[in-house]
Amino acid sequence: MGKLNLDQLRPGMVLAADILDRNGRVLLKAGLELTERHLTLLRQWGVPEADVQGVDREEINARECMELDQELLAHAEASYRSLFRHCDLEHPFNQELLRLCVIRAVQRTMKGMQS
Amino acid sequence: MITGPHDVIKGYVEVASLPTIFARINEAVNNPRSSMQDIARIISEDAGLTARLLMVVNSAFFSFPQRIDSITQAIAIVGTQQLRDLALATSVMKVFTGIPDDLVDMERFWKHSIGVGIAARAMAAVRRETNLERFFVSGILHDIGRLVMYVKIPDLSRAALLRARENRELLHIAEEQSIGFDHAAVGRALMQAWRLPVHQEEIVAFHHRPALATRFPVETAIVHVADIIAHSMGLGSSGEQFVPALHPDAWERLGFSISILAPTMEQIDRQFADAVKLIL
Repeated sequence: MGKLNLDQLRPGMVLAADILDRNGRVLLKAGLELTERHLTLLRQWGVPEADVQGVDREEINARECMELDQELLAHAEASYRSLFRHCDLEHPFNQELLRLCVIRAVQRTMKGMQS
Repeated sequence: MITGPHDVIKGYVEVASLPTIFARINEAVNNPRSSMQDIARIISEDAGLTARLLMVVNSAFFSFPQRIDSITQAIAIVGTQQLRDLALATSVMKVFTGIPDDLVDMERFWKHSIGVGIAARAMAAVRRETNLERFFVSGILHDIGRLVMYVKIPDLSRAALLRARENRELLHIAEEQSIGFDHAAVGRALMQAWRLPVHQEEIVAFHHRPALATRFPVETAIVHVADIIAHSMGLGSSGEQFVPALHPDAWERLGFSISILAPTMEQIDRQFADAVKLIL
């Protein structure tokens, strides 16, 4: 089980824990198999993440990176690490920010090369 | 002789004074006895400001279902405080002119400020904070002390920039080491001189040291984190070459999961170009 970002959730994934709203009210129950409609609802409710069975955030993140151009990825990673040199990369916030910035940079470059 | 941030401000407030119309709007908003009509009348005296405000409230940034055609209508829908904040956001950039361009690229400077404003506003919305526009204004104001420094103490500022580049330090630390105070302290002095709301003063003063914000810790933490996000996304630049360090307590205070970062960054990317077109 692992927490995934909303955009990483797919129909067919099974919730490992209840999804609660800000007041602790249950929106979707653990054990539920997600459908496209659930994903739309989660987006509308502004729920940023969900715990799902049998997957791991690290693994999904790594798989996402596999789909990118590896050379560009290494390049972006190196230049962003230099920009983040004053940031504590042990902290999950900085880790996630760095990861998203690197992916964003690579996707932008790949898009630029296509057009 | 410059011994502290207040000396930098001295003699500058007259040069970089906010348009008097803003002081009058601010006074009217703070005066419980003034009516919506009073405030609308003051704003309407300035045709340029009126046009800018109507453009902003009708933009994609707000996406109100109906068109807003008058300031009275804008006040009724957006609220007096928020309209005051938007008036400030769109006026403040016109105050700073004649800044040595070897020290700062003004377009990139304001782009960074707008980026922080959008990021702060987006995070405040996730927390369901009230009056979101004050967060946008905080972004516009947070680094403004640097502009005052570039005009009043250009040589010292240049030395700080060089030092940061050579030592690969964060600029606010280089400022403090080589000048004795940083842009946040100068910004704070300017906020006081301009008599802006106290929360703006505290946010500007402590956006690099959120632990010192005692009265508005949440607001300050939001701008602290927004600054880091805007830097990491490379939205403009205020002279800082690195992503500033996160104060973990400030992040804790916001009670966010790191999952909000991805959608927040997407939202910032969606809004940034529009906001720049609208305001810059």
